[in-house]
Amino acid sequence: MTPSDRLRRVVRSELFKLRTTSAWWQFSGAMVLTTLVLAIVGGVNARTALKPFAEYVQIRTHGRFHGATVPPEFLSRLRGDWVSGHSAVTQAVTLYSANQLIGLLLVCLLGIVLVTTEFAQRTATSTFLITPRRGTVVAGKLITAVMLAVVAWFVTTLISLTSGVLFLHGAGHGTQLGYWGVDRSVLLNLVAYILWAIFGIGFGALIRNQLVATVSATILYLVGAGAAGALFDLLNSYVLSATWVLGLQVIAPAVASQVMISPTSLFTGSPPQWVGAAVLIAYSALFIGLGLRRLRRSDIG
Amino acid sequence: MATEHRIVVDDLTKRYGDVVAVDQLSFSVEPGRVTGFLGPNGAGKTTTMRMVLGLVQPTSGRATIGGRSYLEIDEPTQVVGAVLEASSAHRGRTGHNHLRAACIAAGLPMTRADEVLDLVGLAAAADRQFRGYSLGMRQRLGIATAMLGDPGVLILDEPANGLDPEGIRWMRELLRGLAHQGRTVLVSSHLLTEMQALADNVVIVANGSLVRQGSVAEVVASMSHAARVEVRTPEPERLTELLVRAGGVVETGPTLIVAGLTEQAVGDAAFTAGIPLHRLATQQADLEEVFLELTHGKAGIR
Ligand SMILES: Nc1ncnc2c1ncn2[C@@H]1O[C@H](COP(=O)(O)OP(=O)(O)O)[C@@H](O)[C@H]1O
Ligand SMILES: [Mg+2]
Repeated sequence: MTPSDRLRRVVRSELFKLRTTSAWWQFSGAMVLTTLVLAIVGGVNARTALKPFAEYVQIRTHGRFHGATVPPEFLSRLRGDWVSGHSAVTQAVTLYSANQLIGLLLVCLLGIVLVTTEFAQRTATSTFLITPRRGTVVAGKLITAVMLAVVAWFVTTLISLTSGVLFLHGAGHGTQLGYWGVDRSVLLNLVAYILWAIFGIGFGALIRNQLVATVSATILYLVGAGAAGALFDLLNSYVLSATWVLGLQVIAPAVASQVMISPTSLFTGSPPQWVGAAVLIAYSALFIGLGLRRLRRSDIG
Repeated sequence: MATEHRIVVDDLTKRYGDVVAVDQLSFSVEPGRVTGFLGPNGAGKTTTMRMVLGLVQPTSGRATIGGRSYLEIDEPTQVVGAVLEASSAHRGRTGHNHLRAACIAAGLPMTRADEVLDLVGLAAAADRQFRGYSLGMRQRLGIATAMLGDPGVLILDEPANGLDPEGIRWMRELLRGLAHQGRTVLVSSHLLTEMQALADNVVIVANGSLVRQGSVAEVVASMSHAARVEVRTPEPERLTELLVRAGGVVETGPTLIVAGLTEQAVGDAAFTAGIPLHRLATQQADLEEVFLELTHGKAGIR
């Protein structure tokens, strides 16, 4: 039996295992539902941002300053927002990757669950009796997670594309598809899905406790970007004032994946897209390496 | 099948920090019979079995099955089947799907799942979720999983745990049948009465070390000093005095129970002193007594 036969068996078995518990519809349900919600919210926001400035101000102020003048500092803030968002390309990128915000977290959690379930459900013994090589099991789970990430990307991108096209085209801004920056961000989104799935497998192999791993990954993902932004803002204000200090927030995985897919600058000092990709790849490789090492060395039972 | 399915444990040691769970243990397990792996709780049985199965890495030493370590066996499920813990299936998956997933991972046809379900008598519960299984059903599912690849070697860790008497009888018949077909069967237990009815051979461990290995009859016989002599006489006081002087330990009562002297020695002493005997018999030690004696003072949680 060749190593690739072994691997194929593990992958097929992992897919079967996933299908035969409630996990698959919980994940796919959450994936589709959150994408739908985010696509609609994104669509409404996009249409607002693409309105002429006067209308934009009306909507943003909910008519509160009806007749009266809007305070100048507030008006200038609104103008800043409007300028950065008033671009069909920017809105197309945002809309077509509306699936990303929660989708990436979900594929990461899927990777974590694929590994930690073996320990949470005490099936590790059975699994490693059938496939004694730990590396083969991890590789099989990795391939499974990547395959599922591709499917998840495909389905959710279809949803956000459809809804995005309806909103944009309906508002008379065309689809923006065919513009390389837009298409590329949709494809880079696929890379992000794959990398977060790999990240999840490594994270799960390293942390192993299902609850601890899923909760800490969720916090890292959801709060990580904001925390990194705030931290490097502080550093920039009080320690070392330089644009590159702000750029360092790309070391937060959640920031890295946003930087990777965004063709326009996300924040002051935001590094080029490839830096985001490199950071994400580095994390994935690090966690897989450490996770595999831990699993190879440890006793099952 | 002979050497191909022999389990050899060679100078195996496993340390967990300061605890030596298994201490330079060596023994072998032959095909065609049931070998009982006996020892009090904490003796190192589970750790030894997990090392044989490549799940726990030995600190030193080696364990082989048919001359190869578990990791070196090309299709391990077709050589070795193991039942290690009762709860080892996903709670939300049905027994049937648990077996099917194992078939896929092991490269076996899905039909094996149905066959082993019939073998262990679990077909009726096959499509229920594992979380609803009783301990006995879980043990049966474990055995079914172990039997998927029709292996020549079976390793079972305390399989009788949680089984009712009927289940224990079923397990005994099954394992004896499998050994009769020429398979190697290694079963651990701390329940000795069960082993006496099941095992042909025993490997007794305590504190991670081998205490004795051999056929049940040999091990029991080797403990001749564990045997005791029953004597009945109309003159118990005189005989007791005599036997104690001869080095025996005597329990008095309607029947004297003498330890430390053979039947022959007791009979000769009585004859020489002219004491009539109404009964003289050796109580054969059973495995339980041998076990308690061998592991005396070594039991207990470490
Ligand atoms: N993972 C572990 N970490 C630390 N000590 C362990 C571990 N597994 C077993 N032990 C210790 O090793 C000894 C042997 O345990 P075990 O093999 O389970 O014995 P048995 O199965 O005969 O009851 C015990 O003292 C136990 O506490
Ligand atoms: Mg045990």
